[in-house]
Amino acid sequence: MQPGAKKLEFEFNNSSDTLISSLQYMLGHINENIPANADVEDVLFRGKVIITELLTNAIKHAGKGSTLFNIETDGRYLIIQKTDNGSPLYLVNTHTHSSIDEAENKKLISADPLNLLFAAWESENHIIFSCEESSIDAFLSVEQVMEHFGILIITRSSDEFTYTYNKESQSNIFKVKINF
Amino acid sequence: MIKVIKEGPKYVVADVTITEANLSNSDQFKAGLVSLLDQYKKIIILDLQELKYVDSAFLGALVSSLKYAISMQQDIVLVGLRTDIKDLIKLIRLDKVFKIFNYADDALFAINK
Repeated sequence: MQPGAKKLEFEFNNSSDTLISSLQYMLGHINENIPANADVEDVLFRGKVIITELLTNAIKHAGKGSTLFNIETDGRYLIIQKTDNGSPLYLVNTHTHSSIDEAENKKLISADPLNLLFAAWESENHIIFSCEESSIDAFLSVEQVMEHFGILIITRSSDEFTYTYNKESQSNIFKVKINF
Repeated sequence: MIKVIKEGPKYVVADVTITEANLSNSDQFKAGLVSLLDQYKKIIILDLQELKYVDSAFLGALVSSLKYAISMQQDIVLVGLRTDIKDLIKLIRLDKVFKIFNYADDALFAINK
């Protein structure tokens, strides 16, 4: 933790009944700690959509227990981290990490006429997401548009989005960074 | 959840009456929209002005319903979006597949042109 950083720890009960109140609570903390030189509206918009998707992910995949959110701000960035003990992300164990070939470690995991979503394996259980806009020239039909947007929304809203599966604690760690 | 407020020869204007559209009600929302398409077989102008919170599950339900509408040679037009919801739709480029207007009257003007 950086000197001067403000930190919030919040336990979410994985219930859709408390989704909005949990979102509002965490957004309130972010709002109070955005530095004066940051684009407040932009940070709050990005924070809102990212936290919403992480909460939705927790409800869908984290099981009956609870999910831990850690929010950290300092003068340079906002970090939103979600930790749960649900099943590992489907991308874990789908790729053998090569320590030599960087290109080999980056794969297209989702593509439609609007967006391309990539995962880069930094190690077997540590993934960095990135995305690009597809060429609209290739647009053929709405039938080709995907219907699952969670990871894409977080990736497009953040400056850095990583997923780590901790084998020892069997926990999923989603970490999102927004630069001020 | 979806309430028809006006019907014309080519269109139906319907209000979405919930304020939060997420994982917990996205299946019900999609079922309601598909049912509306089956019943009227017209363009649906969906007024979302009551909506304050949406998530990816809701957007997935919208896209799935649009695919159904297009398969029927119909359409789903979105109106009354809050700025942040419109920004979210633009963020993932769904403004390339949905026709979006500020008000239902603007959509009606475009449809009747």
